[in-house]
Amino acid sequence: MEHTELIKPETLEDLIQTLHKIFESDSVNVEEVQNIMESYESKPHEWMKYAKFDQYRYTRNLVNEGNGKFNLMILCWGEGHGSSIHDHTDSHCFLKLLQGQLKETLFDWPDRKLQGGMQQKSQRVLLENQCAYINDSIGLHRVENVSHTETAVSLHLYSPPFQTCQTFDQRTGHHNTLTLTRALSGLKGFNIGAVL
Amino acid sequence: MARFPNMDDKCSVLYLSRLHLDDLSLDHLTDSKRQQIQQLHLTYNRLSFLPPSVCFLCNLEYLDISNNALTVIPDDIMRLTNLKTFVAKNNLLDESSFPKEFERMQVETLNMSGNRFEDIPMQFLKMTTLQSLSLGGNRLKSIPAEIENLNSLEMLYLGGNLISSIPPEVADLTSLRYLVLCDNRIQSIPPQLSKLHSLLSLSLHNNLLTFLPREILSLVHLQELSLRGNPLVVRFIKDMTYDPPSLMELAARVIKSQNLPFSSCDLPSNLIHYLNLASECPNPKCAGVYFDSCVRHIKFVDFCGKYRLPLMHYLCSPQCSSPCSSNPQSDAESEEENSVPADRLQRVLLG
Repeated sequence: MEHTELIKPETLEDLIQTLHKIFESDSVNVEEVQNIMESYESKPHEWMKYAKFDQYRYTRNLVNEGNGKFNLMILCWGEGHGSSIHDHTDSHCFLKLLQGQLKETLFDWPDRKLQGGMQQKSQRVLLENQCAYINDSIGLHRVENVSHTETAVSLHLYSPPFQTCQTFDQRTGHHNTLTLTRALSGLKGFNIGAVL
Repeated sequence: MARFPNMDDKCSVLYLSRLHLDDLSLDHLTDSKRQQIQQLHLTYNRLSFLPPSVCFLCNLEYLDISNNALTVIPDDIMRLTNLKTFVAKNNLLDESSFPKEFERMQVETLNMSGNRFEDIPMQFLKMTTLQSLSLGGNRLKSIPAEIENLNSLEMLYLGGNLISSIPPEVADLTSLRYLVLCDNRIQSIPPQLSKLHSLLSLSLHNNLLTFLPREILSLVHLQELSLRGNPLVVRFIKDMTYDPPSLMELAARVIKSQNLPFSSCDLPSNLIHYLNLASECPNPKCAGVYFDSCVRHIKFVDFCGKYRLPLMHYLCSPQCSSPCSSNPQSDAESEEENSVPADRLQRVLLG
């Protein structure tokens, strides 16, 4: 199969067009997508219109529906805002920092005989323009803006797009299903950050 | 010293961020230009003092001097009589940095996160126009009772400090919608917090809480509650430390539960006072009262039919309990008073 040369996307529009091209095929080259997303240097004036913050919790704002092959969203995290531990419903998830920093904590899937709560596997801080990747075989994660002074903005790509996911109670490993709801003006909050 | 490019006639916002400024002069501005400026951004520079020029922008409403090296706010700031929002995150300010008169400013939003405050300055505690106060990421060890003076406060951000307890006076901030106390050392929540009827979001993650007061259930408008990173108990823990009531308490309990009449002719004033201190047992099926001797009882309450939170309340004796909780370790269906309907407290961030 011929491998197309992909030029570094200069603008957000470039990035979206490139992603559309990449996702025309049915198979996803994770490294390729990660590199492309990482190589876009965040320019706030290009994505500011999607960055709607909520005082009390993080928001999800749809950027592009990727012809049904993927969802591209911008998430806005106020100071101290974090998500619950969640999975990705068998989809690929790419997370790129557009502004600020986010802490990602990885967890293994809880097993039945859980004693003492879900233990974290690893933790890292994602810096501006870095792009992380996760899927269910890698594990579960919690994403948080731990800063008390700075907000954070991240660009997320999910392929294929999903309507529900599981969230987990760290103390017990119990999980619940969350459903994405859609409001008239666009995608309304996944209650990912809202539950245990 | 920097001079800035020509301003539009209509432009009221001046962006002077990330310019390596260590000083700034606006002297060359005409009076009318000076009066035009309503917003000034001076973030990410090298300012170790607030340039005096800034204080002569008489119509300034918004000032952001975050990410500099300020240690002091000069008296001249009092000239900015129209200042409504003052942001000075990530500087070197502490409780002695502000002018004595600062309390007279009519500021509505104050963001001093990422500085070196060990106490909330007295001046802040007198600013009754304050709607939003942020002191996240400082070194505060406590919240003073005087916080109750801030009766217009809607947002209080105190995350990332060294706070170990919450004074009940916080509950007097009846306009409060958003209370952030995450990343502190808080061991308990005062039950009085249930008076915060306007509270929409409460952030308590990463503290030292083992349970919550049962009264938290009465925060009917609460939409967000974060509790992750607290050592919340997951199983019922029997409270073994129960001091049996004194004879005086036993006698007082009988008087109250039998409704025996008494008056100042019958009893000395100290006993009248004692009798009036009776607390009703929160168990609705018990008509009893207690004075000093009570049992701490933890019940698990289902939130939204999904999550079990340990809620604590006092009962009058170890024998006092509702019929269904006689076996607290059972996984039996929660009784009516043990579950919170799904429309209440929809978003609890625990895990």
